Amino acid sequence: MLSWLLMGVAVAQTGGVFTPGEFQTTNPYYLLPNPFYFEGRIDWNLLGINQPTNAWEYMERGIHYQDDLDDTQSAIADYETALTFNSLQNNTCQIVTAATLVNGALPATLTPAPCIFTLRLRLGYLEQQSNPTQAISLFQEVLKIDPLKLGVNTLIAETYVVEAQQTTDPTAQQQAYTNAIQAYQAELALSPVTSVTIAFTGDQANNAHVHWALAQIYQTLGQVSSAISELQLYVQATQWHSDVYPWRIQLANNLIKTLQSQNHSGS
Amino acid sequence: MKAECTMPVRSYLAILLLAACCAIELGCGAMQTPVTGVTNPVQFQPQAFNRPENCLPCHQRQFNELRQAVKAGYRNASPLFNGLESAGNLINGGLLRPVYSDSTIVLPDGTPLNTNMFSSPILTETRQVQAGFCVTCHNADIMMMGENPLTREVPALPGVGSMFDPTTFRPLRDYHMVDASGNQILPATIGGYPPAGAQPSLGAAGITCDFCHDQDGPNLNRSFQHDGFANTSIYLNQSKEKVGPFLNPVGVKGNFHVASNDTNKIAFLRAGAFCNSCHDVRLPNNNLTSHEVNINPGGSNVHVFRLENLSTEWQIGAYNSTNNPFGKVVRCQDCHMSMFPYAGTTSYQVGDLSITSPTPAVFPTDYAAVPGVSTDQNYPLQKRPVVTHFFTGVDVPLLPATELQARLGSTYPDPNANSIDTHGLPVALAVRRDDLLQAATRVSLAKSDPSVVAGQSFQVKVEAVSLTGHRFPAGFSQERTAYIQLSVTDANGFLLYQSGYVVDKPHPNTGETAPDGNLNDEDIEHVHAAVDPGKYAAGAYTPGTSTNGGNNIVFELGPDDGPEQRVFAGIPEGLVLFRNELTHIFLPCPTTVTNPPCTTDLVGRTDAQGNQIHAQTAHFEETFNAALANSVDNFRSLQPLNPRTFTYVIQLPTTAELQALGVTLKGPLQVHAQVNFEHFPPLFLRYLAQTTGPNGPTGNGLGLVDEQLIDAQLKNIQSVSSADTTVNLLP
Repeated sequence: MLSWLLMGVAVAQTGGVFTPGEFQTTNPYYLLPNPFYFEGRIDWNLLGINQPTNAWEYMERGIHYQDDLDDTQSAIADYETALTFNSLQNNTCQIVTAATLVNGALPATLTPAPCIFTLRLRLGYLEQQSNPTQAISLFQEVLKIDPLKLGVNTLIAETYVVEAQQTTDPTAQQQAYTNAIQAYQAELALSPVTSVTIAFTGDQANNAHVHWALAQIYQTLGQVSSAISELQLYVQATQWHSDVYPWRIQLANNLIKTLQSQNHSGS
Repeated sequence: MKAECTMPVRSYLAILLLAACCAIELGCGAMQTPVTGVTNPVQFQPQAFNRPENCLPCHQRQFNELRQAVKAGYRNASPLFNGLESAGNLINGGLLRPVYSDSTIVLPDGTPLNTNMFSSPILTETRQVQAGFCVTCHNADIMMMGENPLTREVPALPGVGSMFDPTTFRPLRDYHMVDASGNQILPATIGGYPPAGAQPSLGAAGITCDFCHDQDGPNLNRSFQHDGFANTSIYLNQSKEKVGPFLNPVGVKGNFHVASNDTNKIAFLRAGAFCNSCHDVRLPNNNLTSHEVNINPGGSNVHVFRLENLSTEWQIGAYNSTNNPFGKVVRCQDCHMSMFPYAGTTSYQVGDLSITSPTPAVFPTDYAAVPGVSTDQNYPLQKRPVVTHFFTGVDVPLLPATELQARLGSTYPDPNANSIDTHGLPVALAVRRDDLLQAATRVSLAKSDPSVVAGQSFQVKVEAVSLTGHRFPAGFSQERTAYIQLSVTDANGFLLYQSGYVVDKPHPNTGETAPDGNLNDEDIEHVHAAVDPGKYAAGAYTPGTSTNGGNNIVFELGPDDGPEQRVFAGIPEGLVLFRNELTHIFLPCPTTVTNPPCTTDLVGRTDAQGNQIHAQTAHFEETFNAALANSVDNFRSLQPLNPRTFTYVIQLPTTAELQALGVTLKGPLQVHAQVNFEHFPPLFLRYLAQTTGPNGPTGNGLGLVDEQLIDAQLKNIQSVSSADTTVNLLP
């Protein structure tokens, strides 16, 4: 044993030692913006934050409340606080555009910081029923941040439908449905079916849920032809992808027949 | 040149005590394991890297076990590894191929580029990290030997960047063959089948005996955080000194090698930290959502992001402490080099989950070398606890046994041909992989709503926990695909809801024009994507530019869009996907004309009118090409021993809808959840098939991946854990 110990001394003196726990200069889970904040969720226990101090930290704690603790009210409170630190209205955040570039390149730090879309999407969703106007405003800010982001127009459309269902004013209801249709169509425009996409996938239609939702609106509005058209696109879009609610496919086929017969009898 | 570091006396004492502890007990008890980056004061005779066959006579068991490991052999013939490495080179103009000391490449600033990721003393240039990036971790010995043109297996490319010629580009595996005299031979055509008489080269063996047993500790200078993590930051020797796990080993017969008595090297070999140099992988891309650079002197221009983060996850996780169900440090070796998961089970509590899982750190008792042939003067050996060398992970070869044997030798094992070894352990890699996966997670539905009113919505809550020493999935976690498959049916079997499902469909891009009855080659339905193999965005492949493929030419949300909804919007619906995600942040271009033209805003697709889509603001989008990623989300995977609950709000059909369907629901509803695993998603393989196929940039194809291989080899491992519950249906 003694010889091993002596040998250890001799060897240990010649090199450096790495001790677990000292192996990185910073917490690898606390991501430093460069210049964008990390968009998404980091396990709260890994961040080592005692008390949030900036928009991103409040957002991450809000996600922890929402996802891990099922505490929606605390999540909303944190998201709202985060928004005060990352606001287009009070110029505490900015949208990265060509004008942001310096000598053609993106600076490593930006003042104010880039606007965070995760924050707005999460707060908007939680306010979809209670404050649809605010929710739509938040979702529209996300479209300013990233107009190409998929799914945001759908959220806007869904929220307009909530507005339509909540109002008793027929004019406002009609306008809300019209806005919803426009938003759904904007969603479709972001991933168009083209000859190239057909060549790669064989899909003659996509965005099944958008077509399903549009069909429902058109049915509500009594626009039977449009409803039939959207149901047909829904069936096409689900041909190779089914649906999370697979019974809707059969229902769509049944509805197409029913609506077509109504349409014929109506005309 | 190695680091000359200092340390306090206190640390010396810690090492001494630990070395003594490790000498006595294989598992190193309940202590974390310091390791050293030391120079060896004793100079041993040089010895060239050995083929593993040289070690076989005395270490037959270890040889046989190691041959099952994908890192030792298969990886270098792998169509996936070769395809990924090739695709990366086709994207950036060959920058991932090694350069050596005789390179004549000059960087734009006039600096010669004649060191690679392994030979650079400190990585001060991104191009150094790129040079040999993939092959270094998978074949570091070969990179080291490549400095000598006479022992070089993988040549430097004649031209890179804009001088890159894709038509003469060969996959790495073309270089890993020799004739009967040991001279390198190449397939007659690029990417062709091994020529008659071809034998595997030394490089074909990959990570083998000498890599681990002829090393000199972590190379702190070459690791980005000066910590011995990532990118093969380890010193390799070519000497007679072989490091084993025991002190005072018996003398080796014929002095073939000298068994090391270096306590630090032995401690390092036995530590979880030994795996750090290869099982973290940091890509030299600027991560726009996390600032991380090489902290070594002169390295600040090398920006990195964490592709593989497995070692870091273990290092600061519960298993590298006593605060885990086993009350002691559970090292990498305790699960991947032990009898795990075949050595009994342990029951414990994680949060509100009662878990029973295989016990780690149980080792077989055996000889470390073959008695009678391995020791000097036939000195008798004793049986003792030994490690196994299966290194079972989540991967299995995506090649038929016949091709494995054509490329890696006629005795190469069939990963599906099982038998039981002398320790009672299954031998076949496919069996071992499946069993390992069964140990990785547990799910519970206990928190779901107990009842639902007809026509209303209810909540299914799936609580999932990872029991792995790292996150799950780990490693190349942005492709390793673990997810929850959930179904809700009524008592008659009427399917009310599904998530994590797949559908048999055509794949015209790779020649499957109609559904083929195979679900293993189908992607889950959260996103529909296809990746530009190199000709679409700019109309033609242009070497060395940023418009030569890799972006999503198809990118649509699917009907099971959980990842986007759950992560960014917090919506409790759709797929629960534990796969991490690579992101490409497209940036707007300056309003003024630049030379060369700015292309950072080209998303890679067209609008309905056929116009290129330009990002006017920063646009975040999932990418399936690590070379193009400038952000990564490594937090979608499950953190070990931290249960997470995922909610699904499920809407039942209304009465009117049921009438239209002619269906009457019968309760109770049956809810089933299971975790499935794919080692690679089919769309990723199809991207590689197209990029490296005959219609890709090479024009001739590299013979790596095609639809037939995907159909024959890719397997979706179903139900590695599962749970069931019922929900009462109220009127």
